[in-house]
Formats: sequence, C-alpha cells, structure tokens
Amino acid sequence: MAASISGYTFSSVCYHSANSNSDHEGFLLGEVRQEETLSISDSQISSSEFLHIVEVHNHEPCAQLFSFYDYAGKVNEENLNRILKDRRKNVIGWYRFRRNTQQQMSFREQVIHKQLTNILGIPDLVFLLFSFISTANSSTHALEYVLFRPNRRYNQRISLSIPNLGNTSQQEYKVSSVPNTSKNYASVIKEHGAEFFDKDGVIKDIRAIFQVYSALQDKVQAVCAEVDQSERVKEKIQEEVKKLKEEISLRKRITAAEERRHQESLNTENHSLQDDSALSDSSSPPSLTRVLLQSPPLEVSLDWPPNSTALPLYPAAPAPPSAILLPRPQAVGSPGHPSPSLGLGNGDGSSSDSLNRQAIGQEDQLEEEEEEEEDEDEDSSEYENLVSERLQSPSLTDTAVSLGRPAALWPDGDTHSSGGSS
Amino acid sequence: MNSLSPEVALSRISPELRPLLCSVVRNGRVGLDSTNCLRITDLKTGCTSLTPGPCCDRFKLHIPYAGETLKWDIIFNARDPELPPDFIFGEDAEFLPEPSELPHLVAWDAGDPDCLLQLVKELLQQYHQYQCQRLRDSSRLLFEYDSLLEDPNYGRSMEIYAGRKNSWTGEFSARFLLKLPVDFSNIPIYLLKDTALDPGEDVALLSVSFEDAEATQVFPKLFLSPSIEHALGGPSALHIPAFPSGGCLIDYVPQVCQLLTNKVQYVIQGYHKRREYIAAFLSHFGMGVVEYDAVGFTKLTLLLMWKDFCFLVHVSSCAGCCFCAVMITKTHRHALN
Repeated sequence: MAASISGYTFSSVCYHSANSNSDHEGFLLGEVRQEETLSISDSQISSSEFLHIVEVHNHEPCAQLFSFYDYAGKVNEENLNRILKDRRKNVIGWYRFRRNTQQQMSFREQVIHKQLTNILGIPDLVFLLFSFISTANSSTHALEYVLFRPNRRYNQRISLSIPNLGNTSQQEYKVSSVPNTSKNYASVIKEHGAEFFDKDGVIKDIRAIFQVYSALQDKVQAVCAEVDQSERVKEKIQEEVKKLKEEISLRKRITAAEERRHQESLNTENHSLQDDSALSDSSSPPSLTRVLLQSPPLEVSLDWPPNSTALPLYPAAPAPPSAILLPRPQAVGSPGHPSPSLGLGNGDGSSSDSLNRQAIGQEDQLEEEEEEEEDEDEDSSEYENLVSERLQSPSLTDTAVSLGRPAALWPDGDTHSSGGSS
Repeated sequence: MNSLSPEVALSRISPELRPLLCSVVRNGRVGLDSTNCLRITDLKTGCTSLTPGPCCDRFKLHIPYAGETLKWDIIFNARDPELPPDFIFGEDAEFLPEPSELPHLVAWDAGDPDCLLQLVKELLQQYHQYQCQRLRDSSRLLFEYDSLLEDPNYGRSMEIYAGRKNSWTGEFSARFLLKLPVDFSNIPIYLLKDTALDPGEDVALLSVSFEDAEATQVFPKLFLSPSIEHALGGPSALHIPAFPSGGCLIDYVPQVCQLLTNKVQYVIQGYHKRREYIAAFLSHFGMGVVEYDAVGFTKLTLLLMWKDFCFLVHVSSCAGCCFCAVMITKTHRHALN
C-alpha cells in the first residue's frame, strides 16, 4: 500500500496544527485506487501485482477535541455527520496532531479508530499522526508524521509521499491527479477566467498557438501538394525524354542500316565506275562527319551513381560538330573506365581498346564515307534533322530549366542534370 | 531519563493539573510493591513554545509492576484541563483496555484530586488481566497461574508479567510476583524502628522468574521491606531454598512462606523469651540489678556478693535469639562501699 498527500493539503494541516495551542485532530479526504502492474519476465510468463494507493486531497479539521466522541472514546455518529456533512463519502482516514509525544497510537485513538472503521464502513481507514518535537531550549523543532494502517497487524506503517517535495533535480515534476476542490479557486477562475480561457475552458493562448500550428500544417500540406505535382511533372518529362532517346536510337539504327545498305550498293557501283568515283573533299557533308564523329555507341550508360558527385563526362554545353572525339562513357568500375577528364584514354596514359577501336572504326568510317556525297547528303539531312530536332528541342530543355533542373541536351540525346537523376 | 523530585515535577506542571499529580506523586502507591512510589519523568508541554510556563501537561509515569517498571505516557491538554487524559502504554502496544470498565475515565472529574490515581489503578487491573491472558502462550505457565489463582492466600495478591515470546528460539519467559501472607504485626516495635526511611507497609514479596516456558530455569528471589529485613537480622539472615527441578509454584510458594513465617515467629518468640528471662532475673535478683535492656531485653547486669566476694554478672543475648552469655567480673567489697 502506498499513500500520497498533496503539498498544499499537507501544508494546510501543518498550518492548522502548528497554530493550535493544544492537540488537534480532523479527517482526511481523498480517494483510494488500486493499480495493477503486469510484468513479464523470462522466469514467468506474467505476474500481476496489485497496489492500493491512498491519495489525500483535502482535510476537514475539527474545531475542538472530543467533538465527535465522549470521555470513554465512544463516537457519536450525529456529531460526526455534522462535522463531515456531505463529505463523508470522501473520508479515507483521520489525523491527529500532538506535541512532544511518541509516534505511537494512543489508547483513545485506537478506540476511536475501531469505531470509525465500522461507522464509516472503510475497512482500510488510515490514521495520520503528527508529532511536533522541540528541544529543551526550543532551538530545534521537528515535525514528524507517520501514517498508520491500524486495522492491519501491528499497526502497520505506510510511507507517505508528498509529490514534488524532495530532490527535484533528479526527479521529474509530477502532475498530481488530485482534483482541485477549492471553492475559492473555482470562484476566482470563474470571475477572471474569461480573460484567459475561452468558452470551452481552454486557455486562449493555447488555442492561438494551435491555430498557428494548424496554419503551418496547411502550408506544409500545400507545399507537399506542389512538390507532388512537380514530381509528377518531372516524372512525365523524364518519360518523354526516355521515349525520345529511344526514338533517337531507333532512328540511328535505321539510319545506320540504310547507310550500310547504301554503302554496299555504292561499293558495287564503284567497282564498275572506279574512275568515276569522286572523292569527297573537305566540303563533304559535314553532317555525315558529324554523325560519324559524334555518334557514340548505342551502349550509352544512362545509369549514374546516385548521390554521386561524379564529374560530367561531357561538357555542359552542346559541343560543336567539329568537337574532338569524346571518350565513350562506361560504367564505373568497368575495365577501361575513362578518367574524369575530357581526354582520351585512361588515367595511366593508356587508352582503352574499345575506345581505340571506336576511334579507329570511326576514322576508317570517316575515310570511307568522305568519298561519298549523295548518300551522305541524305543521311546527313536526316541526321541534320535529328540534330535540328535536337537543337529544336529547347522547349523540352526550357521546360526542364523552368522546373529548376538545368539540363543539357546533347546531340546524342543524353541529358545530364546537375543533380542526381531519378 | 530525568528523575524529578515530586516538588520539582509539581512546580512544572500546569496549575490546573497540579492537584491531580500531587495525589499521584505523594500518595501514589499501586500494586503489590507499595514501597516504591509512582514517579514522574519527561515532563513536556502540548502548548506552543511561546506559551509562558509552567504549562507542562504530558509526562511519563513510572509504575512498578511484577518486578518491572511500566512507563506509560499520560497526555493532558493544558488548554482543556477538564478533559480526561490519554495514555500510551509504552512497549505494550497491544494492550487495549476496555473503556467501559474504567469508571473513573467514563465519569472523569477533573475536580477530584484522586481521579487520576484511581484511573491508573483501574488501568493496572486491566493490565494484569492482559498479562494473564498472554500466559496462554505457555501451558506450563498457565498451569502455574491457575493453580495459584485457586489458592485464596496467593491468588488475590499476585502480579504477572509475561515477556515477549522469542520468535527465534521460541522461548517464552514470565515473572510471578506474589505477596506472601506473613503476619509481621507481632514483630517487636524496637526491631522495626531503626530504619532510615519510612518503608510503609511491611511486605514480603516473592519473585519467581521463569526464563523458559518448560520451567527448567527458575530463579526465585525474596524481597522484604527494609524494616522487616532489619528485624530478621539483615539480608544474610534468611536464605530461601532453590526452586526444585520439576516443582511448581503451588508447592514452592507455601514452602517459602512457611520458612519466612517460622523466621518471624522465631524472632517474636525470642523476644518474648528474652523478656521472660530478664523478668525472672529481676524477680529473683531485683535488688542486685545494675542495669538491663528494657526494650530489647538483650542485656542485664547484676551485682552479686558471695562471702565478701563481689562480682558483676553480665547477661547478654543477641536480638532474635535467646542465647545468653554470662560474664563475671570480680570486684572488691570496699570498692562498693
């Protein structure tokens, strides 16, 4: 069994007692509740522990001694009801204050307690004893208090705790469940409460803060909506970009296939018209050259390590058609992974074979195709279309830029953004 | 514990309560051991420290009982002197008397100086009943009590103190204090007068302590009033027998009582014998009596003459016995002339 008394009740009892020039007594009002604690441990599945908690909320002092009992200690129920009035049901015990005496229940207190237990119908009626002890020279005074459970064997003593009275630096401030039964408090709050409380009894400041909180929540929700929308737009754009890339690559394949066929047909014609073969000069359609030069292999790795700060392998701006041969991008970690530089080869000075092969293949292809003009024109025109389409897709770029994601469209269709792509 | 003289204690008590305590400290003899008065110690007040004195209204009362000293707290209220006191029975926390059987509590009269003393006596009676009830923890001791209770010579003058049962060893101890029904009234006055203090009533108390419930360790002790002890010849004059193994109080107490009675009778008879003895000498040698002890009849001096041979005869005996010693001193006739 545990017991607690609110600080103001305790101080009120002490105040009444200390100001009394004789012994003082009264009744304790409060409630008794039962707490059940279930604990599960390795040794046992579950164990429940019941704890009776006595909470003292208030006290009812008696005006004088022998106010509800006679010389023999016989309790007068009428006087008792007159003292308690309608608070009889809240009685959980009674108290007595006496100076310079032992912390032990006296003869009359035991007699009275037994009768109160029966009259009030409280089996576990408690008794709180205050003792005020002073030294002979009155230099030191001690207020001692003991809570008895007299109906138990040997007048069991219960520890009485006062919430928030102690070493508060190591304890949390406890909010007591004691209801405020003070009438004066209620009247003052009722009179001046309108300045602080609204009609629902909630402090106005709290409501204002809650309104601010709600407004912030609304704004956050709106921003969330905007972000969601922008994310969707971005996703849509990325889908479009992806489709365009696929289309470009498809067209490239088609174009390449046609060129091969055309080349083959030309080769057969050239055999018969070797003298008429005209070498393509430097004015050969540069578009074909541009295509040969600037058509990287189809295995372009669009995967970019997330959250990586890898330097772009390509410059941000579209390179002119006469740009130097750019290294073919490869996945990180793959053999011959190009160094993050614009130059050819690996970091050790060697160059990847694939790159060389690509470069060589492209050069051979360039030499062969420089001799042709007609087909190249067609192809170049188609490529120019591709390029023009590439160049004419600033709307897409602009749209991406407008969305705050600067992107650069390469002639090959790759897009690179400053941030990690999805 | 500060033991205060009655006058000092009364001077510190609240004036309204002083008559009650005056009766206690001056006339407060309760129980069998009436040689010890009630004492008051630890005077305290229930008023605030700012209250001017004297205002003590609560104290500790020392009550001799069954060889023990009970220390009961008595609590008054100086601001309400007409109200009856409250009690705290010290270590006997389980002692709870029946209020309805305390007439002087039910009808407390603060104007009656003896009210508190009478109330204390009534409480002691209930305390005695409470101790007798506690003997039920031991059938052996309960038998001793019941057997003594049946004897009217001892049943009405008995105090019992039952000790705490040792929870470790299971031992239970008790003490019986009995007032022996010995008549000391015929003891010569001269034997009783030589005492420093007024001892009060002449009593002989037999204390028998049972250190265990099976009565294997029994320690008897006889307490006599100082005057009786002096009349019988001092502390070493009387030795009581040891408690017989396997014996019981109903056999032992009468034995001790008889021993004491015999001793008293011996003293009385010795006195009478000595008186008769001296009277015989006086009647036969009345003209030759020089001097004699007319109180205790322990000494007699005669002057006798035989054929010009004069001599003094000194006859003496110790108090309490008839043994006489005679000494003859030779003297000359002309010295007597």
